[in-house]
Amino acid sequence: MSVAPARLHPFTPFVLALAVTALAFLLPGPWGPPVLYLLVVLVLLAGGRGGAVRRGALLSLLPWIFLFLLHGVFGEGNRGSFAGSGLAIALGQGGRFGAIVTATVALTDAFDPSRFLDAVAVRGWSFAWAYLLVATLQAAPRLVARAHVIAEAQRARGLRRRGSIGRRLRALPPLVFPLVLGAVAELDDRAMALESRALEGVRHRTPLAPTPFRAADAAIAVACAVAVVASAAWLALR
Amino acid sequence: MSSRLLALVPLAVAINVAMGFVVNQLGLPVYLDTIGTVLAVLLAGTWAGIVVGVLGQAIIALQVGVFMLAFAPIQALIAVLAGVAAGARGFGSPLRAAGWGAAVGLVAGAGSAVISYFVFRGVTATGVTGVATALRAAGLTLPLSVAIASVLTDVVDKTLVFLVVAALLRALPSRVARRLS
Repeated sequence: MSVAPARLHPFTPFVLALAVTALAFLLPGPWGPPVLYLLVVLVLLAGGRGGAVRRGALLSLLPWIFLFLLHGVFGEGNRGSFAGSGLAIALGQGGRFGAIVTATVALTDAFDPSRFLDAVAVRGWSFAWAYLLVATLQAAPRLVARAHVIAEAQRARGLRRRGSIGRRLRALPPLVFPLVLGAVAELDDRAMALESRALEGVRHRTPLAPTPFRAADAAIAVACAVAVVASAAWLALR
Repeated sequence: MSSRLLALVPLAVAINVAMGFVVNQLGLPVYLDTIGTVLAVLLAGTWAGIVVGVLGQAIIALQVGVFMLAFAPIQALIAVLAGVAAGARGFGSPLRAAGWGAAVGLVAGAGSAVISYFVFRGVTATGVTGVATALRAAGLTLPLSVAIASVLTDVVDKTLVFLVVAALLRALPSRVARRLS
């Protein structure tokens, strides 16, 4: 979300993504959310983050199509034709999707687990919860990769993954059971590793290389808070 | 939080995420993304399941969009209901598991429909939107289309989830189950 996300405090991208989410719902449709989406795109492109913009658009594509069909084509009142009010709803909600998804993709790109854990340690927040978030983010792709290996191995043993619903349901246990039972069997080793590092008893950790909360981070946080509060007040007074 | 729970939660969430890949491979019209949550409830209690469900939703929110956090209460609700099912020996036989799964799917689907309609205007980043669109094209109103699509997919999905978890429990080495419970 910024020109140089690595220099920002690890919490700042979260603040930005949450502010974009709040603004996407506070700004009135049909034009408010699309303008916000355009702003997010321009800021990211200016910061050389075209990849996040592209992936955000790809993730939003299917919801955009469904919004157009559900509200634009099959909208209330003008069935079978392009309903004006339905298109307005689709435009507003589509802008919301685009802005939030793109901001989230940029947040994920900027997320650095070690810097995040250090920032949590500096604040004195619960290390266990921060560990759970980071460990889960790292475990998920590993297990997906293992599921891929299991699927290939079962295919080599003659497992058919296509055909009728019944046949595909019968293919479920050979894929799910090795994956889940293998993961559960890992538990003992992982628990032992955590215990040997005295994770259970840790009250205060010493961060290795803490990122300072600079003036730029404070300015972004204040700007986000002002924008959200002003939008909420405007919405209430309108 | 104990070391065992710290080890279990990331793996259970990862199981939920990996199920997305398995379902895609088989082209099944379900999600099965609560297998890890229900398993965590049975192995370590309702609170563990709630943590797995909510954290899993947070991970999805980080991948798809922060708005997906709106479904976090549904994940917690599924964990609570799975705990109730476990207390009532709901995983004792395949028939009981299927019955409890359908009941949980009914409640979770109704809750999801409310969030889907009021927060997302009927369009989420999941396949249930395709069913809702087809129903809307068939002439049903938008709230009804969203409600039927959500309940229908959730009942089928949770029935399968409970059946799979009941079978997994029987296959689980008793040593592992004993240490966690």
